[in-house]
Amino acid sequence: MTEVKLAVQRFDPLKDARPSMMEYDIPRREGMTVLDALLYARDYLDHSIALRFSCRQASCGSCGMKINGRPRLACYTQVAELEGEKVVAQPMDNFAIIKDLVTDLESLFEKHREMMPYLVRADKREIENPSAEFLMKPEELEKVLQFTYCIKCGLCTSSCPTVATDAKFPGPQALAQAYRYLADPRDEGGEKRLELLDDAHGVWRCHFAGSCSFVCPKGVDPALGIQLLRRHVLSGKSPRGLEKGAKVWTKPATPSQK
Amino acid sequence: MRESRLMLVQYATAVAAVALVSLHLIMQGVIYPYATAISFNNILSVYRNGFYAIFLEALLVVVLVHGFNGVRIILKEFRQSKPWNMWVDAGTVLAIVVTVAYGTRTVILAVFGGTA
Repeated sequence: MTEVKLAVQRFDPLKDARPSMMEYDIPRREGMTVLDALLYARDYLDHSIALRFSCRQASCGSCGMKINGRPRLACYTQVAELEGEKVVAQPMDNFAIIKDLVTDLESLFEKHREMMPYLVRADKREIENPSAEFLMKPEELEKVLQFTYCIKCGLCTSSCPTVATDAKFPGPQALAQAYRYLADPRDEGGEKRLELLDDAHGVWRCHFAGSCSFVCPKGVDPALGIQLLRRHVLSGKSPRGLEKGAKVWTKPATPSQK
Repeated sequence: MRESRLMLVQYATAVAAVALVSLHLIMQGVIYPYATAISFNNILSVYRNGFYAIFLEALLVVVLVHGFNGVRIILKEFRQSKPWNMWVDAGTVLAIVVTVAYGTRTVILAVFGGTA
């Protein structure tokens, strides 16, 4: 086939009562991604299609959308890999639609912020004027490494059945990041983090559907992070607290820091 | 009570319910033939066995706590507001207390010779 049939969901909340689908015929070329097809449609067939994109290499997380029913990054999805006669592009679920394929990710970022996605240290002076670099051992890094790959595209959150019903549930993205910082041996905010998670709408509302881990384009396993979080919330101890005598590994200050 | 404690109760009652319900089914379906097991006289004699009466009371408490706590979890997903959370928590406690009390009444009446 020389052409790809591309169906795009069109919806402008300010004008339209309900979403509708529009179809475009796109010339197929080798290695074509869904983003390429969408950009062709926007550039040559219909300038009014709204979509968000940036890096085109699955690094920025901007082009998340539902492609043939599954949340994916448009830039990371080859047209050739899709089954079915046409490519169907729709906005992500669980987010308000701004226009067409562009969703409002404010709730995603807000929930991410609520999880304190930064290292908390008891000694404020050390943060403001560090005397040494806070280091991690390779085996400590390994525990959190996959969670640092999150690009905040929102695909996991859009696939989560609990987010669909419970607006207060932080969602897999935020919870995976909560684990990332809780498990970081350099972090001293464990108690506060555990308190935040131990809520009626917190970490316990995950039904372990696993769809978040299934759709993540970066290989992060948020469902695993949530299960590990539960262990720590139940015990009331952060991983740092579990390891007796755990200490932050620091190296001597460089001459410029002295 | 903290949510983690309530979930711990949920997990513990789930494990206990599996053990107790399995034992109950074995008693009712394997040890006694089913038709005999549900006869009035057999049920009354089962209640009057002290050990089995305690077992049934434990089964009652475990299953009701697990069931109503589960419903509480589902209801909390429907709406997200403090009053709703409060009503759901209060309703759950009330439902557990009332149903456990009613079930316990049945056990006590059967044990002490009344009709449930």
